[in-house]
Amino acid sequence: MKHVRLLVLTENLPQASLALAETESFHPDTRPPTETQLAGLPGREYREVFIQAKSRLDKIVRHIPLDPVAEIAPIRVIDAEELIQLNDWLGPLWDETSGYEEDFRLLDDEERLVKEQQAALANFAELNIDLGMLQTKTRFLDIHIGLVPRENLRQLEGAVGLAHHILHVYMQQDDNAHVVIVGPKGDKESTLTTVLSAAGFQRLPIPQGLDRPPAELQRELAARLNGIEEQRRTLEETLVRWSAPQRPKLIEARHTLLLAEPLVELDASLRSAGHLAHLAGWVPARAVERLKQRLSKTLDQPFDLTLRDPLPEERPLVPTVASKNRLLIPFAMLVDQYGIPSYGEVDPTPLFAITFLLMFGSMFGDLGQGAVIAGAAFLARRKLGRFWLFGLLAGFASMGFGLVYGSVFGYEHVLPALWMSPLSDPLLMLSIALVWGVIFITTACLLAIYNRLVIRNWSGALFGHHGVVNLIFYLALVAGGLEVARGGGIGIHTVVLVAGSLAALAWHSWRHQDGGLGEKILVVFIETLETVIGYVSNTLSFLRVAAFSLNHVALSIAVFTLADMMGAFGHVVTVILGNLFVLVLEGGIVMIQVMRLQYYEGFSRYFSGDGHAFKPLRFRRGFS
Amino acid sequence: MSDVADQAYLNTRVSVMATRLFPPDLAEQLIQMPLPALAERFGLTALLDEQHTTAARSRAVEQSLIWLLMTELQILIRPMKSAERGLLLAWGRKYALFNLKTLIRGKLYELDQKDIGDNLYDLPESIRLPDRALFGAENVLEMLRQLEAGPHHRIARQAREVYEQQREPFALEATVDQHYFADLAHRILTFDSHQQASLRRLIGVELDRTALLWMLRFRFSYQLSPSETFYQLVPSPRLLTRERLLNLVNLENLERILESLPEPLNQTMADCRTIADVQRRMELHTQREIRWLLARSPSGVARALAYLMLREADLMRLFAVVQGRLLGFPNDRVEMALNLIDPECATGAGQAA
Repeated sequence: MKHVRLLVLTENLPQASLALAETESFHPDTRPPTETQLAGLPGREYREVFIQAKSRLDKIVRHIPLDPVAEIAPIRVIDAEELIQLNDWLGPLWDETSGYEEDFRLLDDEERLVKEQQAALANFAELNIDLGMLQTKTRFLDIHIGLVPRENLRQLEGAVGLAHHILHVYMQQDDNAHVVIVGPKGDKESTLTTVLSAAGFQRLPIPQGLDRPPAELQRELAARLNGIEEQRRTLEETLVRWSAPQRPKLIEARHTLLLAEPLVELDASLRSAGHLAHLAGWVPARAVERLKQRLSKTLDQPFDLTLRDPLPEERPLVPTVASKNRLLIPFAMLVDQYGIPSYGEVDPTPLFAITFLLMFGSMFGDLGQGAVIAGAAFLARRKLGRFWLFGLLAGFASMGFGLVYGSVFGYEHVLPALWMSPLSDPLLMLSIALVWGVIFITTACLLAIYNRLVIRNWSGALFGHHGVVNLIFYLALVAGGLEVARGGGIGIHTVVLVAGSLAALAWHSWRHQDGGLGEKILVVFIETLETVIGYVSNTLSFLRVAAFSLNHVALSIAVFTLADMMGAFGHVVTVILGNLFVLVLEGGIVMIQVMRLQYYEGFSRYFSGDGHAFKPLRFRRGFS
Repeated sequence: MSDVADQAYLNTRVSVMATRLFPPDLAEQLIQMPLPALAERFGLTALLDEQHTTAARSRAVEQSLIWLLMTELQILIRPMKSAERGLLLAWGRKYALFNLKTLIRGKLYELDQKDIGDNLYDLPESIRLPDRALFGAENVLEMLRQLEAGPHHRIARQAREVYEQQREPFALEATVDQHYFADLAHRILTFDSHQQASLRRLIGVELDRTALLWMLRFRFSYQLSPSETFYQLVPSPRLLTRERLLNLVNLENLERILESLPEPLNQTMADCRTIADVQRRMELHTQREIRWLLARSPSGVARALAYLMLREADLMRLFAVVQGRLLGFPNDRVEMALNLIDPECATGAGQAA
C-alpha cells in the first residue's frame, strides 16, 4: 500500500474526483495536511447542495420509481452551478410530489375514520342519550364525539372536568378510545377546543339519519369506502400521468448526482489554499501506475502526485484490501466477524478456510449428510448470496471425511472406509486430535511472532503472549509429556527448557509490574501459572475434534438402535428423522465448536483484527 | 442471586463516579474562577480558542459537557438489564428531544441549514434521533412524518396531530415534553417492588418539580386556563398526584397554590413571592432528595440515575459560569443563574444563545 498526496488546481477537483472514482483504487485519508496554509474546505458548499438534492431525489423516487442504473455513462464533470440548478429543479418537484403523498395520507386517514365509524355504529345504540341531539347544534349543550389516543384519555378526562364537561368512553379499539364529551355552552368551550387539539382528539362525523336501519347505514359507509378506493385509484393514475414526462429528467438527475458523489465523498479529505487543492489517500502499490496514467489523461492542468511507503506510526491507519478469491470470500466474511486484519498482519483467511474445512469434515464426516449440506447450499444459493460456497465446501469436506470413515447417512458398513471408522480405534482418534492441537497452537504462535516482527515489536515477539519464549515453553512441555506417555522420565533438557522459559516469562512480567512487593509476587505467580494451565487446557481443548467424530458415529448407532425396534416403515421413518436430527443438531453444534476453536485457540493468539477495510472511491450504481 | 449481589458492580461503579460530583463549596469557587482557570481545571480547551466567536466557543463547551454526561450514561448502562437500560436511555433522550425542538423551530422559521446544524447536539448512537434524515426534511410536517416511521412514532404522531391543528411551536414542544416525562413515569411501573420504591421517589421528585413549575408558568405567566394547564402537566407518583393537580390548578393565585401544596412542599415554599423563588427552593429541595437517594437507595439503577441527574446539574452550573464569563456578566448575575439552575432551563438557554 502506498500513501498518495495529490495537489491539483481547485478548478480541476471535479475531474480529479472522477478519475479517482474510475480507477477504484483510492482510499481517502481524512487527516488534515501538515501545512497549516491548506485550511480551506473547497468541497463544503458542493457537499451541502448535493446532500439536499440527493435527499429530494430519494424522496421523489419513492413515488416515481426509476429503473435500476445499468451503466454510468457518459462520465462528465458536474460543476457547482449545474448541481445548484438541479437542486433548484428538484425542490419544487418534491413539493408537488409531496402534495400527492399528502393526498394519499389524507385518503388513508379518511378510510381509517370510516372504518372507525363502522365499528362505532353498533355502539351508538349503547349510548343512553337522544342520538338526534348529536347532530343538531343545541342552545345549551356543547357536544363533541370522536376518537382520542388511549394514552391521553385519563389526562383529558381531568382537563375536561375542569372545563365543566363530562367525558364518556363508549368504545375502545386498538390505540384509540371513542368518547362523547358533553358540557354547558359558554366561555369554557374555546378552552376545551385547545385541550382537545392538544390531546389529539379527532372528531367523528355522525352519519345522517341515525334512526335508519343499521344495515342501511353500514351500506352507506361501505359505499364511502368504495369511493375512497376509487379516489385512490384516480390519484394513482394522475400521479402516473403527471410523473411520465418527469421520468427521463429524473433519470438524468440521478446520473448527475452519481457523477457528483465522488467529489462529495472526498470532502472530508479535501483541503485548499487559494487555487491549490490537496487530497491524500491510500492506493495499492500495484494500482499506482494506472492511477497516474488516468490522472494525466483526465486533468487538463498540471498536478503533483507524490508517493511514499506508510510510516511505522501510520500502520493503524492503513486500510487492508480484502481477499478477492471467490472461494475465500465466505470465509473472509466469518473472519470479519472477529476483525479486519491490520496492515502488514498475516491475513488469516486462507489458513482459517483450510483448518475450518479439515476440522468440520473430521468432526462431521458422512458422505450422505455432507451431500445434503452441499445440495442444500446449492439449492439455496440465491438466498445465501456469496455465503452459499461456504455451505458447499463444508458439505464437500464432510463428504470427503465420510469416504475416509466409510460413513453414509450413519450406515458404517455400506461403504468400505478408505481408512477406518472413528469408533474402531477411539484412542488413536484422540491422539491424532491432540497432535492436531499441538500443530494448530504452534502455527498460531509462529504467526503471532511473525506479526510482531513485522511491526518491529521485538520485545513482544520474544516475551509477549505466544511469543518465542512461550513457544519454547510449550514445545518443551509437549516433548516432556510425550516422553512421559512413552513411559520414560522427563529428560533434564526438557526440564531446563520448561523451567528456563517460565523463569524468563516471570522475569519479564516482574519488570512490567507496578505496585508493592507482595502484589508483584502474587501477579507474577498467577500469570506464570496461567501460562502453564492455559497451554495444557488449550491443547486438551482439541480433543473435541475427535470427540465429535466419535459422537457422530455414536448418535448414528442410537438412531439405528431405535430404528431396529420399529417395523419396516417405522425403520425408514426413524432413519430419515434421525438423520435430520443429526444434521440439524449435531451439524449446528460442530459448526459452533469449530468456530470456537478458530476464534479462541487461533485468532486470539495471533490476530489483532483491529485493521480497517480498504474502501476505494467509486461510482455507486444507484441511491437507496 | 440476591438483589444486592446482582447490582454490586453497578453500585460500586456509581460510588466511584459519585466522587466526580462537585463538592458544595465548588460553586462559590467557580464564580471566582477566570476563563483560563476554568479551562485548565475542567479540560475545556475550546474555551481558550480565540479564533472562534463567543457563541461558537460557548457551543463547543456545552457540547463537550453534554458528551461527557452521555459518555458516563453509557458506562453506567453497560451492566444493566434491558428495562433498566431503557429507563436511563429514556432519561438521556431529552437531549435528542432538544435536537428535535431545534429542528422544529429551524424548519418552522425557515432558518439556514447551517444555523440549524450548528445548534444540534452531537449525541451517541443509542440516544440520537435519525437527525440526518430529519435534517433533510423540507418542513415540519415532513420531518414529523419521517420520525413517525421510527421508534418515536407515538411522540411523533401526537406532535404531528397537534401541529396540524395548531401550527405553532409552543403546543408542539409542550406535547414533546409531556410525552418525555410521561414515558419516564410509565417506565418505572415495569420494575419490581424492590427497585420501584426508589425509582418512584426519584422520578417522583423530578415530576413534582416539573409539575409545580409548569403549573405556575402556564397559569400565571402564559395565562392558560385551568383545563389547558392541567392537560399539559404530568402527574407525579409522589406528591403532586393527579388528584392534587386537579385541585391546585383551579386555584386563582400563586399564594393559594403554594399554601395548598402537600407536606413537605408547602413548608419548603413558605414565603415564596415569585415563580423564580419557587424555582430556587424547588431546585434545592430536588437536589437534597436526589442526593439522599444517591447515598441511601438500595436500588443500583435509582442510584445511577440520581448520579446522572446530579452530574447534569453540576455540568450545567459549570456551563452557566462559562457562559457568564464569555458574555462578560458580573459575578452577582452568574451567582443568580447558578441558584436557578435547572437542566431544562440551562440547556434551553444554551440553545437560545
